[in-house]
Formats: sequence, structure tokens, C-alpha cells
Amino acid sequence: MTLSRRPRSRSLRMLAVAMAAALALSACGGDDGDNDGDNDGDGGGGGDTSLVLGLPSFFVTNFAPGGTGSSNIDYAVWTPLTTIEAGTGELGPGVAEEWASEDQQTWTVTLQDGWTFHDGSPVTAQSFVDSWNATATAANALNGNAQMNIIEGYEEMNPAKGEPSATELSGLEVVDELTLEVTLNAPNTLFPYLIANPVFAPLPEGAADDLKSFATNPIGNGPYMFRDGGFGAGDQDVYLVPYEDYAGTPANVDEIDLRIYQDPSSIYTDFQAGSLDLALLDGDNLATAKQEYPEQVVDVSFPALIYLGFPAYDDRFTPEIRQAISMAIDREAIVDGLLQGNGTPATGLAPDVLEGGGEAACASCTFDPDGAKAALDAAGGWDGDLVLYTYQDPTNERILEAVTNQIRSNLGIEGVTFEALPIEQLYERFGAQSIDGPSLAYAGAAFPHLYALADQMLNPGQLLNVTGYDNEEFTSAMESAVTEASSIEDTTEQVRAAVDLALADAPVAPLFWPRGGLVHSESVSGVVPEFLGGARLALLEVS
Amino acid sequence: MLLFVVRRVLGMVPLVLGATFVIFAAVYALPGDPIRAIAGPTAEISPATRAALTEEYHLDEPLLVQYWYYLTGVLRGDLGVDLRGVPVYDLVEAAWPVSLLLGLTAWALMAVVGVGLGTVAAMRRGGAFDWAVLGLTTVIVGVPYFVVAYVLQIVVGVQLGWLPSSGIREGWPTSYVLPAACLALFGLPELSRLTRASIIENRQADFVDTATAKGLAPRVILVRHILRTSLVPVVSVLGLALGFLMSGAILVEGIFNVPGLGFTLFNGIRQQNGPVVVGISTLMVFIFLAINLLVDIVCGLLDPRISLVRDG
Repeated sequence: MTLSRRPRSRSLRMLAVAMAAALALSACGGDDGDNDGDNDGDGGGGGDTSLVLGLPSFFVTNFAPGGTGSSNIDYAVWTPLTTIEAGTGELGPGVAEEWASEDQQTWTVTLQDGWTFHDGSPVTAQSFVDSWNATATAANALNGNAQMNIIEGYEEMNPAKGEPSATELSGLEVVDELTLEVTLNAPNTLFPYLIANPVFAPLPEGAADDLKSFATNPIGNGPYMFRDGGFGAGDQDVYLVPYEDYAGTPANVDEIDLRIYQDPSSIYTDFQAGSLDLALLDGDNLATAKQEYPEQVVDVSFPALIYLGFPAYDDRFTPEIRQAISMAIDREAIVDGLLQGNGTPATGLAPDVLEGGGEAACASCTFDPDGAKAALDAAGGWDGDLVLYTYQDPTNERILEAVTNQIRSNLGIEGVTFEALPIEQLYERFGAQSIDGPSLAYAGAAFPHLYALADQMLNPGQLLNVTGYDNEEFTSAMESAVTEASSIEDTTEQVRAAVDLALADAPVAPLFWPRGGLVHSESVSGVVPEFLGGARLALLEVS
Repeated sequence: MLLFVVRRVLGMVPLVLGATFVIFAAVYALPGDPIRAIAGPTAEISPATRAALTEEYHLDEPLLVQYWYYLTGVLRGDLGVDLRGVPVYDLVEAAWPVSLLLGLTAWALMAVVGVGLGTVAAMRRGGAFDWAVLGLTTVIVGVPYFVVAYVLQIVVGVQLGWLPSSGIREGWPTSYVLPAACLALFGLPELSRLTRASIIENRQADFVDTATAKGLAPRVILVRHILRTSLVPVVSVLGLALGFLMSGAILVEGIFNVPGLGFTLFNGIRQQNGPVVVGISTLMVFIFLAINLLVDIVCGLLDPRISLVRDG
């Protein structure tokens, strides 16, 4: 019973904040000043630097490479073969110094000498083979399992039916200690991007035998290691310290205290109270933080899109109707009014943090109420009810309510309403193609390339393809972009062309690219967002 | 006395079976796919992984078979393994001391303040203090306690900075005062009203007249005769409240980031992590029953009119 109160408690919380503010104003006018001063953290003396980072418990659960959630903590503990530069999204070397392929299908990866795990053992080609085999083993049930499906031999280990007929990926070959040859199922120019994910990090010898205990007591190869070797189920603070023999750019902070929150809503309260140095915020907390600490917030562009997806299996939503609805939405008003500016109105599919993204490729994304009405009339108008859907989330519901109102007033559709379902239920109904109206949904990219988002959202059978969109021309253009392109630049061009082609049909109406913010205390610098939004721990500095 | 305890414990067996089965069946009936819940709604799960997980957690077996696996596990002291591979026992082991400490702190606060306010109000019935207590408890009943929690957190924790705004890393008592105070507020009105009513009723009882006639001092009458009998219903309420407080208060533990049982349970429900929900709920059933038994024993000791053996 208590659970059903939870969404309500948010609005009540705002009431509580207002009451508290009023109390504080009447009681003690001059107390606000010393909040900032407290935000130096409770770091130890003697020249040691430390900082406290607040984060939801979700980020500190499983550190086996195949079980990671690719968060900034995973990137601090692991260094994969390649890396993506924080902030710019550029691909660079990690453990590997070179990667090359003649046909984009068989890749030769050369490792740098001198890399070691946190226990001092060397990182070799075999370490990667062990890791990828462990992740591809179905019985280990790791989240990253499906990401191994690009490698030859995955099917044998993960048959759609029946028992696995292999225990190792046949596409992996150790040429020598520092050379790894990877054969993929199909040519893929984006392979160097894919292996930048911590899911593809190496495993030390023998670790695959007990992945469950390794998950909480990991021996990584990244710039930071766990001070106490790991963490337990109920730990509230987990400490990271620099790995002294790290072969890459060394870490700068002597100790990072990961403070774990079950309920993320108290993270910002604790930052205000001065007990945290760094936290990733969004929504109302971010808007408040920008007012309270304007100099201490670093913008984060999430590699994601919030959009309205039209059910492709519903004949009522012709391309013309979809374009009309898209044009009737005032994206700027939503971003400024409801998100306090913490978003960017979408002008295409992907934001510019993704390679190939940020281009204006969506004609119907420009707000044009008259054009929208004219387009709707030309398409024969709209009869009857129109229900919009989303999953239960305060921000989603607020946005969808605005979208509903804009459709009503700009298109004159009186019978338009919206409905918020529990997230599992919504995705089940997407799968069963029983959603009978446009849906507000979120799509995130797994790696920083336009392809990642476009493939997941628009190719048939993909999990984020909630619309059921299936366009052969698009799918074959996407396929040839990664299998037949001569270089990554070429791939990017071809994927862009494919996305332009799809968006001309408006299978989805991109709305905006979400933004978060990293709020930090005055003593912390070098705050640069990692791909998924958290701060890149290796770049942090404390003065 | 011993006989009473044995009979009560035996009587609990069908109760435990029934309660755990209802909890188990309820979790089993939750909509949604637990494997999908572990991976998140948008992650890709290969069919082979799904098959491996289904087999590991017996997800394809009928309800009764799954319950049997679970029950035999509990009898061996094994609460099962959660869907992320962490033994539920580990989760509980980390969480229960926190919930116990928080619950006892809240309970002590509630008992002292509640019984104290009730007693004084009853002795000064109709006076300004009585009215003040009535007013205060009415306000407490009217304001949802999570609103109180957020206000305390922001005023005391952030604005004034007297106590930590969340977490338990400063230990007892500093870190526990705020959440315990919020929890204590939950039972305070009922407790003080009950104490007040019970004392007022007993003040007019025959045995009080007898004691007065015998010339006993008013303080002795209050403590030894009135309070002792008046506390019987109060102890029942306090006992039940103890069960509630120790089994974890979901919202308060969440708001103050206290890693106790209530929050572990809430996370379990949110992640559709069946083994966690069932394991912790089962534990809560045990706590509740144990405390009930304790309350019955204490009530018997307090009130000579209750005979443990005959009424048991």
C-alpha cells in the first residue's frame, strides 16, 4: 500500500520544501551563507586529497566486465581495448595500441606492453578472450551477454533453442601474448567503438571460475581500484583509490568515497548540507542547483532522445498524419517551460555527443502550427479519439500532458487524451503491438555513434523499436553502412543518409535531447562527463 | 507459563505456513517478467541466458513446487539467492542491525514521550496542558509523516546543520535521531490518547478508592496502582508498534537513506526481485510473531487478572 504513495510524495516533497524555506526565512535570515563553505568535503589532512561522490545503489552492484552497467564507476575500474574521450566522444587507444582490419570482419588488435591488473598480473590477449568467453556463456547470465553476439561462434554458445554446442567463441584467437585476432559474424566498421565499452574489458586469470564473488570483489585494470578489495551487500560507502602501476594517465585523487543512496532523491539534499562533493542531477534538482550554485554545475548531454513514436502497425497513422502531429509540437516551449532549459529541442534523431548526430535532418521537427493544421486537413483530418501513452514517471507525464494540449489546440483534435502505464506493462504492450496511439519514450545509445541509436530505434526486431517500424530500404542501407563502408567516416555518412531516409517518413517525432548536470563543490575541478553522464573519475582533481 | 509459551509457539506453525504462502503466492502473481526486471526494460536478453536463469530460479515450475523449494530452504536456514546472485541472507544480515537500532530508538522515544504526555494530560484533565496535547496530536495525525520527514531533513539537516541530513555513517545517536523521531511521531498520538483514556478510567476504579481509603500517598497510588493497570492496553499497542518499527519503515528509511530492512524490501519490490521480497517478508512475519508472544507474556505479568495458562 505504501508503494502507491510514492509518486505523490514527490509533489508533497515540493510542499515540504516550500514549508521549510518559509520556516527558515522567518527563523534565521542569515543562515544561507555558510552552505557553500561546507562543501569542501570532510577530506583528511596531510596533503591527501579526497572527495565524496553521491550515487544511486544501482551503480555499485556488479563489476564483472559482462555484468557492468557501463557507468562512470565501471570506466574507473576498467580500461577496455579502446577508449572514447570524455566530452568529445573521440575514439582513442586503451589497452590496445592498434586495431586494423582488411575486410572489417577479421580484426587484428595489438595490445600495449606493460598493462597490469590491480593484483599486478599482466593484461594479455588471453585476458580478453577469457572475459568475452565468460560473458558469452549463457549459464553465467550476465547482462552483457547479448553484446557478444557480433563475434563468430556466439550462436553456438547461445542457441535460440536447445543446449549450447560450444563453450568458447570460435572467432577469438590468441596470436601471441599481445596480439588478438577477432573474427566477427559479419563485417562491422564500428567494432573499435563497440570494444570501448567496459563489457569488453579483460578478466584476470582464473576469475571466470567464480564470477559471482568477482562481481563484488573485482580485480580491474583501470585507473582506480577498490581500497578494501571490494564491497558488501549493505555498504553505504565504498572507497576507490588510485592504482599505482596504472599504465595510462594516472588518477589524481587519493581517495574517492562512493556514497551509495537507495533513494536518489536525498542526494541533492546531502549536497546542500555539504556532505557530498559531486553528484549527477537532473529534473527539478538540477534547476535548483543551477540557481544555488551557478558556477558549480557542468552540463551533461545524455546520448539519448525523447521522442513520440507512432505505431507503424496502425493504419490511421499515415506518414502525413505523423508529420502533422510532429509539426504541431512546440519543442522549445516544452524545453524552456517544463524542463527549465535542461534539454535541447531535437532537430534530428541523435544529439551531437554521438558521432554523426546533431544534424538538422527532420523537417517536421520545426514547430509550425498552421502548416500542421493544413497538413492534417490535406491528409483527411482526424476522426475520433486519440490516446497518447507513456510510462509512469513525473517528468514524462508532465511533458506528455503538454504535448496532448498542443495537439488539441494546434490540430483541433478534441478527443485527445493521454495515459501513463507502468514501464514493464508499456514495453510488454509494445512487444505485442497493442498500443493504439503515439507513445512518449526514451531511447539511449549503447556506444557513441548515430548508428547505435538508429539501429535500436528503427530496425525491426530491436528492443527499442517500440513502433514496429520496418523499412527494408532503411535496414539494408544501415547494414551496408557497417559492412561495406571503407572507413568510420564513410560509415557515418551512410548512416546519416539512411536516417534521413527514415525520418522523411516520420516514424517517430523526435522531441528533445535530455540534459543533466554534474554539481560539484568548489574544491573539485576537472569535472568532465563520461559517455553515460557521470563524471570521468580519472580526470577529477581536488585542490 | 512454559506450557503457555510452548502452546503459543506450536500455534504459530500454521500461521507461519499460511503467511509465507500468501506472501509467496502474491509475489508469484506479480505482473511482469522477473528476468526482464533484472535486465531492465530495454536490455537485450539472449534466449540461452533466459533459459539458464529460468532453470536456476525454477521460474518455470508451478507455484506449489516453487513454494516447496523455498520452504525447505528456509527450514535449512537458507533464505534463497536474489536475482542478482546475492544471498538474501547477506542482505538481511547487513540490514537487520540497522533496522533494529532505528526501531528501538524510535520505540523508546515514542514510549517515553507518548506515555509521559498521556499521563500528565490525564492527571490534569481539562487543563491547558491536556488541550495542548490534544491539539498537538491532532496536528500530527493530520500531517503525513513523510512531509514531516522532508521538513525535518531540510530544516534540521540542511538549513541548521545540527544533524546529518541522511545516512547512518555518523552512527548512533546522531544519525538515528531524525529518522527515529519521524517514526516515533507515527504512533505518538494513539499512544498518548490511549494512556490518557486508560488512566482516566482507572482513576475512578474501585481499587483506587480502596488505596486512597487506606491512606496511601498519591504518588504511590499513581505509580503502583493506576499506572500499572493502565499500561496493559498501552503495552499491547507498544508491542505491536515495536513490530512495525523494527520490521522497517519503508518511507522513512528511504528518505533518510537508512539501509535497513524496509528499504531492502522496497528495492526488492521495485526490481521485482521475488526472493528478496519473500525472504524479508518472512523475516518480518517471524519478528511480528515473536514480539506478539513477548507482549502477551508482559501483559500477563502486568495484570494479575490475565492468566497465561487458561487464556492461552
